[in-house]
This record gives sequence, structure tokens and C-alpha cells, in this order.
Amino acid sequence: MSQEQDLLIKGHEYDGIKEFDNPLPGWWLITFYATIIFAFIYVIHYEFGGGPTLSQELEVAMKEVQAAKPAASAAPQESEEELMKKAQDPKLLAIGAEVFTGKCASCHGNELQGLIGPNLTDKYWIHGKGKITDMLTVIKAGVADKGMPPWDGILKQDEMIAVSGFILSKKGSNPANPKAPQGEPVE
Amino acid sequence: MENQKSLQLEKVTYDDKIVKAFVLAMLTFAGVAFLAGLLAALQLAYWPFNMNLEWITFGRLRPLHTNAAIFAFAGNAVFAGVYYSTQRLCKTRLFNDTLSWLHFWGWQAIILSAAITLPLGYSQGKEYAELEWPIDIAIAVIWVVFAVNFFGTLAKRKEKHIYVAIWFYIATILTVAMLHIVNSIEYPVSFMKSYPVWAGIQDALVQWWYGHNAVAFFLTTPFLGLMYYFIPKAVNRPVYSYRLSIVHFWALIFLYIWAGPHHLLNTAMPDWAQTLGMVFSVMLWAPSWGGMINGLLTLRGVWHLIRTEPIVKFLVTAVTFYGMSTFEGPLLSIKSVNNLGHYTDWIIGHVHGGALGWNGFMAFGMAYYLIPKLWRTELHSKSLANTHFWVALLGILLYYISMWASGITQGLMWRAIDVQGNLVYPDFVETVMKIVPLYWIRALGGLLFLIGFLIMIYNVIKTIQGAPANQYDTEVQVPVAVGHDTHPEKGHRKLEGLVTVFSVLSLIAVLVGSVIEIYPTLNLSKYVKEENAVEPYTPLELAGRDIYIAEGCYVCHSQMIRQLPGDVLRYGKASTIEESMYDHPFQWGSKRTGPDLARTGKKYPDLWHYRHMIDPRAVTPKSIMPNYPWLADKSTDFVGLRKKVAVMKALGVPYDDNTLAQADVMAEKQAKEIAEGLKAQGVTQDGLERKQVVALIAYLQSLGQKGKNKGVKDDKAVASSL
Repeated sequence: MSQEQDLLIKGHEYDGIKEFDNPLPGWWLITFYATIIFAFIYVIHYEFGGGPTLSQELEVAMKEVQAAKPAASAAPQESEEELMKKAQDPKLLAIGAEVFTGKCASCHGNELQGLIGPNLTDKYWIHGKGKITDMLTVIKAGVADKGMPPWDGILKQDEMIAVSGFILSKKGSNPANPKAPQGEPVE
Repeated sequence: MENQKSLQLEKVTYDDKIVKAFVLAMLTFAGVAFLAGLLAALQLAYWPFNMNLEWITFGRLRPLHTNAAIFAFAGNAVFAGVYYSTQRLCKTRLFNDTLSWLHFWGWQAIILSAAITLPLGYSQGKEYAELEWPIDIAIAVIWVVFAVNFFGTLAKRKEKHIYVAIWFYIATILTVAMLHIVNSIEYPVSFMKSYPVWAGIQDALVQWWYGHNAVAFFLTTPFLGLMYYFIPKAVNRPVYSYRLSIVHFWALIFLYIWAGPHHLLNTAMPDWAQTLGMVFSVMLWAPSWGGMINGLLTLRGVWHLIRTEPIVKFLVTAVTFYGMSTFEGPLLSIKSVNNLGHYTDWIIGHVHGGALGWNGFMAFGMAYYLIPKLWRTELHSKSLANTHFWVALLGILLYYISMWASGITQGLMWRAIDVQGNLVYPDFVETVMKIVPLYWIRALGGLLFLIGFLIMIYNVIKTIQGAPANQYDTEVQVPVAVGHDTHPEKGHRKLEGLVTVFSVLSLIAVLVGSVIEIYPTLNLSKYVKEENAVEPYTPLELAGRDIYIAEGCYVCHSQMIRQLPGDVLRYGKASTIEESMYDHPFQWGSKRTGPDLARTGKKYPDLWHYRHMIDPRAVTPKSIMPNYPWLADKSTDFVGLRKKVAVMKALGVPYDDNTLAQADVMAEKQAKEIAEGLKAQGVTQDGLERKQVVALIAYLQSLGQKGKNKGVKDDKAVASSL
């Protein structure tokens, strides 16, 4: 206790609160100095030492992302017939139905009757001539002016084929409350 | 003679009534803040809790919750503690009773006006600074009243030196005044509507300089002052280290003010500002822990009190949470960690560790200490206070841990890129579904915290009911004059006797970082590249933007695509400084409960937006966004648009004379076009063109579409256009 008395600072008393004269804890002081040194090194490196800027770092990262993407031409381009054959696989049609409900139905309607986007069951086409490859192109790239989002990168290639097949399979299904025809008729 | 005079005693009566009033106000508004918080938590877990009521929909409720927690609950707690301790530390009654009561009633009136205007949608769209200009002025006036009363009390003190608690109070009062005034410089459009003079990155920097330091100087420094008074009093032990007090006080207030830009990491904010924000945050770690060390080590030798004394339990746990939050803060300020944590619930967890743990438990501990003393009785039940402690602590832990899990989970999902360079979870709502269960756990945590608080209220009511009828203020005998030491003083000790010099030095300490960081961005044009130049909003888009702000959309949606691959792949090209250069206020946001909207324009048709606003689940089946049916009923204010455009022009937005003169006509024309488009697609509603939803659609469709050059518009083939 006498040691404690020595530590008390004379004359420091406020409403009964006294103060000890303990030194700054060593580990605390080292931490403080370490953060200050880190700050200097960091600022010097990134602001004066030629460290990469955020946009440079982004550029590098995006190049890596691009490099990882399989080149479009490298993948064998499937023909209309091959695609149509693939799209009639009942397993794939089931996947297509699922994708449609999750991603497409909010704009094209649960029965494909058209809502915000066009009716997909009639014989009228806005973009294309009735081929599955036409449909795939629209799904992939979207139609920015009309508000159709591009699905490339969000849906996988197989999912896009599946949903295209599903949509074509519903052609002529005559749902209730169809949206008025848009585009050109394709027989 | 001097010495003899200092031996003479006089009677001083402390003003306990004002402290009682602030304690009761604190407890009242704590209830409001906690209830609003619980409802907000439930709304996120289960959207029907929004109840289709515009006044309490999440976007308006969240500002009400944060303002109530910060300014009403914590504010009244600070005023109670400052007034109680300052009188005793200075051995004198408060400077002026009239000022004390003006302060009290003025502050409660401000809170009441906030509680009315925020649910009505009067908002400036700046976090923790939502209140409109007449209330901003009232806040400044009442704060000055507080300052005069406080410094007046120091001037007539009977203690030569000012104790460390007072240092923190001084820094608080001066800095909060500076922050509030600078951040609230705004140009009124009408009663209850104004635009801040700051725009884009200026506004971002000023707002987060304010926002971060509201945490620093409204929720940290005053509570450290309270800690320095109430912990030594509660455990009857000397403060651990006077030297540590000096070092950590000055280091803390000098470094804190720089840290604001850590809220803007990886954004379009210039790199140098981000770097400063990060390194100053890292350097803040030790000064913050200095406070924790001094608080905790004051208990050396009396640790056993934690077992038996609920007051000590609350205070010590509060300091522990302070230590956790001030370690987590610098950690989150590191750019690469922030990459993961920003916009997620991790930040929400971090804030609540500080708010519930540090501020909440300090305030509760202080209240359990003060109430029996002020009402001259014993606490009704110690065991109920213990129960409060454990229930509330469990609540905080559930809150904190669920938000950690939620934030890190969602942050990882957002940025996950597969081997083919595609997002693994491209569908935003998928990442939301994953964390909804955690939202329920968070709500449970909030409920427990509230239950603990209700136990306290019962205990307090019982205590006050059992108090003696004869209530009187504390009387003490103090020396007539301040004693003089015979030996001369040196260094900091001398400074502690010179309040004015001390205050000026504190102000300089907080001014240095403020000026260095904010001054360069005032010259906005330096950062604006001509090839990225944008057009101002059309009058209708401006009207829609005001609706966006009033509904608090920024509470859940950011408008800032960070310079990170995950952001770019999901939302498009990284946002530029120019894209928000005419945004008074900026709307970069701080949280993505929903997706970023910076490039949402033209992504969906008008009809999609119409259906989405009335019922988000009509287009996104699993959305947790509230319905906004009233937007299709309420009318847009076309008449006020000329004034709004004129104010924008006065603030430097380049509107031409034609737009200035024809703002309402132009807006009506654009609204008609949108409404006709919607009608052609089957929307049947009379007078649709006059409804708010149309203006809001116009604004949303303009986001990311205002570039003068086509290059900015390109959102396809994002990566190659970088």
C-alpha cells in the first residue's frame, strides 16, 4: 500500500478522484509507434513511391477476369439443328422452366403471355426470325433500349439454351390475357 | 492573505434538478430509440412489418432510430453526466439556471420536432444529419446555450485545475459545434426543404468528416469524460495513469478528425484522401485503447466489485466494448478489409457494438449510479439490475455475432468470381436470402436488449417511488477562492489551469486535419475531367430525386460502384467523380441492403419500375423491399420546381435560362410522356402523370445516363471499356 501512496500525484484530487503517476504501458507505446511507422511507410509507398493506384489495381484485376473468360470463338459454335435437338431434352426443358419462373416470368408473365416484355407464345418476333440462335442472341446480349437485361454472365450457357428451348416449346400455347402482338409474324 | 482566503469556506448548492430532468429524458428516449430499432430489425427480417405505412417504412424509420439513439438517448445521457460531474469537479453550481433549463427544453423540443418531421419524410438525405434547416438552426442555438453554460461554469470554478473528464467535455463541445455547422451549410428552398451547398465528392467528404466525428465527438469523447468521472467514483480508486490521460487525450482528438474518408474507401474519392483516412484510422487504435486501459486498470485491486456491483458490471463491460469497437474500427479501415466489409451488415454490427455496448452500458451504469444519489434513496433491487445486465449482454452478443456472420457471408458472396470470370452469385436477391435468418437472430438480440431496458425502467420507477418526499439539492462547503500552489507549475499541469488556452489548443488540434482534408476538394473542378462531364438532372428528375431522398432510399441503396472487380462485374463501370458532381446532397450511400443503383437507368423499362414500386415482389419474387403504394397516390410538387432549379443554379449547377423559367412546364411534359408510355402498356390510373411514382421513375432512369459523351453510358462490355 505504501508503494501505492508513492504513486499518487500530490495535489491531484477532484471531487475525491485521485490520480496515479503510472508510466505509459510499454506494449501500448510500442503499438502506437508501430502504427505511426506503418502509416508513414504506407503513405510513402502509395502516394510517392509509385505504388499502384486503385484504378490501376482494378485494371489488373479486370484483365485477369477477362483472361479467365473462355474466348467466344474457341467454344465450338453449335448449329441450329444441334441446339434444337439439345433443347428438346426433357431434363433440360425442366431446367428451362425453372430458370424462366425465376428470371423471366416477372416481365414476360408466368404463362409467357407477355407483361412488361412481349408475349412469347405468339408467332410474332421483334428480334430475329424464329430461330433458337436468334433467341439465344437476345437472351445473351439483352435489348438495352427496351429494358431487357443481358443474361450473359448471370445465366450459364446451358441454362440459356434450356430456357430458349422451354420458350419455344410453349409456342402456340394460347395463354389467357395475352399481350397484343409485337414485331413481325414468322410462320 | 491569499492562503487565508482559500481556507474560508462558503456554501454551494449543486443543481441536481437539471440532472434529474436529463436522466429522465434519457430513459424516455432510450425507449423510443430501442423500439424503433426493434421494429426496423423486424422489417428487414420480414418485410410485411413495414405495414404499408409510409411514416414507418424502413427508409423513414431508420433515420428516426439513429437520430433517437444518438441525439435523444446518448445526447441526454451526456448532458446529465456532464452537468452532474462538472459541478462537482469544479466545486460550483452551474453557471446559469435559465440557460440550463433553456438547454433542457430546447433539446427536447428539437427531439420532438425530429420525431414528427422524419416520419413525414422531411429529410436532407445525409446520414445522422437528416433534420431540415430550421431544426439545424435550433440545434446550433441550443448547442451554443450548452457551451455558454458549460464554459461559464468553468470560469467560476473553485478548483484551479481542470480534470481529464473536463478536457474531453471541452473537445466535445467545440468540435460538435464545428462539425454541425459546416456540414449543415444549406440553401433553403422553402420551409422544411433545403439543398446542401456541398455536392458530390465535396459533400461525401464533408458528410463523412461529420458522420465519423459525430461518432468520435458525440459518442466517444463525452463518454470517455463520463468514464473518467464515474468509474473512479463507482470503485473509489485513483485513475490508473495521469500521463496516459494526457497522451491519449491529445492523440485521440488530433487523429480522430482525419479518419472520416475511411467511409469512402475504394470509391471515386481521390486516392490521397482515402489513404489519409485509412492510415489515420490505423493510428487511432492505440490512443483509443489508452482510454480503455485507463478505465480498466483503475479497477486494479478491486476487480471483485464486478461480481457484486451491477454499476461496475455495466461500466466495465462498456469499456470492454469500447476496446472491441476501437480495434474493429481501424481493422475495417484497412482498404482490403473494407473491400469485404463495406456496404454490409458487418458495419451495422460494428456500430451497435459501440452504441449498445459502449454508449448503452455507460449510460445504464451511470443511471444506476446517479438515480439513488439524486433521489436520495437506495436502488430498489440490485438483483433486477443484475438481471438487466445479463439479458442485455446476451442481446448485444446475439446482435453482434449475427451481424458479423451476415456481413462477412454477404460480402464474400458479392465478390465471389468463378474460374471463368463470372460472378458466382449474380442474382443480388440470392445473397439477401442467405442472410435473412440472421436478421431474425439480430431482431431477437434487439428484443432482449429492450427487455433488459424495461426491467431497468421498472426498477427505476420503484426506486423513485420509494424515495423520500423531501427532495433537496446537494449542498457542499467549498473554499471561497481557488487555492494557489506556492511552487510554479510547468507543462501540461499549467495548461490545466488555463481553460481558454486549453480550449484554443483543442480547437487547433481538430482543425488541422479538417482543413487539410476538406480544403482541396472545395476546388472540385480540379478533379473533373471534361470527357466525363455530365448534364444536370431535368426538372422532373430533380423532383424524383427529392422523393428518393424523402423516402430514404439511400438507407438501403448505394449509388457508388467501387473500383473493385466484384462491383464492376455486378453493376458496371466504376462510378466517376463527375457523375455525382451536381448531386446536392450526394447519395453514395453506406449500405447495400438492396443493390447499387448508380447505373440502374435504362436497365429496366418504366413499367418494371412502376410495378416494382407498388409491389417489389411482382417483379422480384423474393425481394425484401417494402411496398410504396402511396407513390402512385401522392402528387408531385410541380409548382415548387422553378424555385428548386433556381436554388440549384445558385449552388453552381449549370441550368440554362429556359429551364429556369420553364421548369414546371418541362417537368409536366416529361411526366406526360412517361405516363403515356405506361398507359400504353396497360397501367390504368387517372392523372398518372401527376403522381410521384412517375417523377421517381424519371430519376431512376437517369441514373448513370447523364453523361454528355456516349462513353459514360456504355454499360455493356464493361471490362473492355475500362
